[in-house]
Amino acid sequence: MNFPFTAIVGQEELKTALIINVIDPGIGGLLVMGEKGTAKSTAVRALAELLPELQVVRECRFNCEPDGVLCSVCLERKRESALLPTGKKMRVVELPLGITEDRLIGTLDIEHAIKHGEKRFEAGLLADANRNFLYVDEVNLLEDHIIDLLLDSAAMGVNTVEREGISFSHPARFILVGTMNPEEGDLRPQLLDRFGLCVQVRGLHEKGERIEILKRKAAFDDNPASFAGRWQKEQDDLARRIVAARKRLSDVTLDDNALETIVAITTALRLDGHRPDIVIMKAARALAAYRELPAVGGAEIRDAAQIALTHRQKRLPFEEPGSERIKLQKVLEEVAA
Amino acid sequence: MRFSEFIGQEEARLGLILNAVDPRCGGLLLVGPKGSGKSTLARLFRGALPPMTPFVELPLNVTEDSLLGGIDLEKTLKSGRRTLAPGILSRAHGGVVLVDDINLLSLDLLALLMEPLERGSELIEREGITQVRESRFMVVANMNPEEGDLSPHFTDRFGLCAVMETLSGKDERLAVMRLAAAQPHFEAGPDPAVGEKVAAAVKLLPKVEVSAEILDFLSETAQKNLSPGHRGEIFLFHAARAYAALQGVAKVEKEHVDRVANLVFAHRRLFLQEEEETTMEQEPPEQNDNEDQEQQDKQEQQPSPEKDETGETEQSPKDGEMDADPSPRESSVQEEIMEVGTPFKVRRFSFRKDRRKRHATGRRTKTRVKGRGGRYVKSLLHSSDRDIALDATLRACAPYQKARGREEQMIIEKDDIRFRQRERKMGHLAIFVVDGSGSMGAQRRMVETKGAIQSLLMDCYQKRDKVAMIVFRKDRAELVLPPTASVEMAAKRLAVLPVGGKTPLAAGLMETWRLVRQVSLRAPDTRFLVVLITDGRANQAISEQSPQQEISRLVRLLNEEERCDFIVIDTENKGNFLRADLALALARQLEADYYTTDALKAEYLSELVQVRSEK
Repeated sequence: MNFPFTAIVGQEELKTALIINVIDPGIGGLLVMGEKGTAKSTAVRALAELLPELQVVRECRFNCEPDGVLCSVCLERKRESALLPTGKKMRVVELPLGITEDRLIGTLDIEHAIKHGEKRFEAGLLADANRNFLYVDEVNLLEDHIIDLLLDSAAMGVNTVEREGISFSHPARFILVGTMNPEEGDLRPQLLDRFGLCVQVRGLHEKGERIEILKRKAAFDDNPASFAGRWQKEQDDLARRIVAARKRLSDVTLDDNALETIVAITTALRLDGHRPDIVIMKAARALAAYRELPAVGGAEIRDAAQIALTHRQKRLPFEEPGSERIKLQKVLEEVAA
Repeated sequence: MRFSEFIGQEEARLGLILNAVDPRCGGLLLVGPKGSGKSTLARLFRGALPPMTPFVELPLNVTEDSLLGGIDLEKTLKSGRRTLAPGILSRAHGGVVLVDDINLLSLDLLALLMEPLERGSELIEREGITQVRESRFMVVANMNPEEGDLSPHFTDRFGLCAVMETLSGKDERLAVMRLAAAQPHFEAGPDPAVGEKVAAAVKLLPKVEVSAEILDFLSETAQKNLSPGHRGEIFLFHAARAYAALQGVAKVEKEHVDRVANLVFAHRRLFLQEEEETTMEQEPPEQNDNEDQEQQDKQEQQPSPEKDETGETEQSPKDGEMDADPSPRESSVQEEIMEVGTPFKVRRFSFRKDRRKRHATGRRTKTRVKGRGGRYVKSLLHSSDRDIALDATLRACAPYQKARGREEQMIIEKDDIRFRQRERKMGHLAIFVVDGSGSMGAQRRMVETKGAIQSLLMDCYQKRDKVAMIVFRKDRAELVLPPTASVEMAAKRLAVLPVGGKTPLAAGLMETWRLVRQVSLRAPDTRFLVVLITDGRANQAISEQSPQQEISRLVRLLNEEERCDFIVIDTENKGNFLRADLALALARQLEADYYTTDALKAEYLSELVQVRSEK
């Protein structure tokens, strides 16, 4: 049993960033920067548990959505008979640091080939991750070519495998959550850019909060079921809110004023490419849906920009870390005024 | 999303459509920063092609046998005879191969991909199968130059190249967001309207005339664009004709040629233009071409302060010990090129040995061979590693299964075993950071300096190191030579290196740091030897801080790079009684080995000496 998501103390930015990624997976995942022991993986796991079941094609290795994009196997099956849906709990698939490329993207099923002399695709982690969370601890320490492969499929939502005589492709749409401690090394700017959002987490220093964390953790460890029971109402409420926000998402209005504000921010910071614009737009829209607002307002754009832009700004190597935040604040104030 | 819904990037879209009309346009390379829509546009292209056109993605995970094809396991088992399973290239016959981030693809695979392009056929000699098959496809690829270069050898194979920029117009950016808001997932759909336009042009194409006058104009245009070889002209011919057909005109006009010229020459020119610019810079307008050496010498001896072309006049250097030379020579922004002094055999520099395991591809540092890292690219018959390539082994034994009496399980014998070859990116990179400021022109210091660099380059060539060169002068530092294994190219760049202007030492150090970071993120095992050639008289800052503050911060940053060794070569004239030894101070800060140009040379008669003791 996981610690209830709603019982996590503090870390509001992290929680919100995760929730809006669930509301609109098109936001493109989340990079969490910060120290160890700050409830990063707990939060992801807890959120996955809280969410309602996914509708998937029964017995599909890739969790295909019955009415959505299908893998080659489901496409074939669909020709013969209707696909049967079934419910499946959302998962957090973990990508360990030492992973090899064949385990990540899938490979030739060697055992089957030796035993039966037939070629078969053995799915990798990206298959498990489809429509789930893909959690990469210390993403900056992953081997370079693994990151390339990971982001290659993350960008287009499809895993295309052309290796060892295998040619296969399946949907790979996942919410990528990476963590990194910037002191242990950088990520290439192009890779940073592929993460939709980025939040900083810190240990809480306020005494009252720290005591509250201790209390809750102790209560949970003593009797997880009873602790979870006490939080059930909050959990159900949040789940309902998320589901409702997902439904409402396409009805949230984005007027020209809002879009112009976004462009004003990204132009002032001189950012590369259109991803920053699109991510702020999507994040602001998901925030509005989550806050039960009919339209995206200035507050949503500001909040979205704060988590969408810190990792996309360029910093001269001798400028102090954190200077990008200050610059961003300045631009946000100017644009608001 | 449909092809025609894509916003902006006219040039790139035209490049694709021309290829759809006539694949002889030679494919398209999309170059642009992250998030400019390169991959999206390339995928939308499929919808503009006739419905059954093959459109094959070449992912970064591709292995050699998947690219070229190999034994078809199942069929071979059944028949007991080697049967070929087609690779990506065969599947793409008559269509498109799409490559994202082509500059990240391994060079071996890149060569295999590009090789059949001109021949129009594929020669297969693999796993006991010999075959020649027709293979015509076009490559649509994209790259972000921030992530690394693609050698001109490969870019030249692309018929067309379009540079994509982030859209700057507000309306366009709003439109991009609206489009993204309207669709939850990106999905490329067919675009019948564009398809029809293309189909009409394809029909008209054979009737399009190209007059003798236009042929003349084509070759003139190619010459004007300094296109080396004949590829440029040929692609220009096809592109112009396709464009005329697209316009519904049965005759190629000059304006058609002009419209497509940029697509044809963008990538061919890029490289040359750089050289041209440097060549232009070397000759100040007031000097005439055949000025002789004497006159040049005279000018050095009697330097006259001059105004910069940009109108910026010399300011007195900011305070600080690193910039203590207010001599008028510094203020001269006159530029000149000095010849390369006589090369000499240099002392031998060595990289420190380290304890990180790595597989050394160069010959300089001996290190232990790393285990099974890296990307599996192909299988081999023999290998010292015991890293078995099971897939290739199975294919190798497949033809013999019948003869060996297989019932269920495969029967594998020792001779069937194949091994994996993995690609490891690492090596040594020597970065030459050269002071190109006016003070280097004094007493023909640059001549000697160039001689020293030339000598070091030769040393690098022998050690199979890669080299890069950064020059700092005027108000900035420039990577004039991105990391390359071609020492020849480095020597060429060196020869045309101009001097003149102020000394932005900090900019030079920052560029160095950037390069080190960039390379080591891509190839974490790279070792660096930074050879800094300067007199240390920094007098141009890159931020609000003083040059000296900047330098000490950057030095700290550079010192944190543990795989980086430094050598400072001091070019100050030590005979001058006003010597400031600023470069020496810098060398101390950097914990660098320090030489004067003379000291470098002094060693040349003696045997090669290992100067750097093991630390």
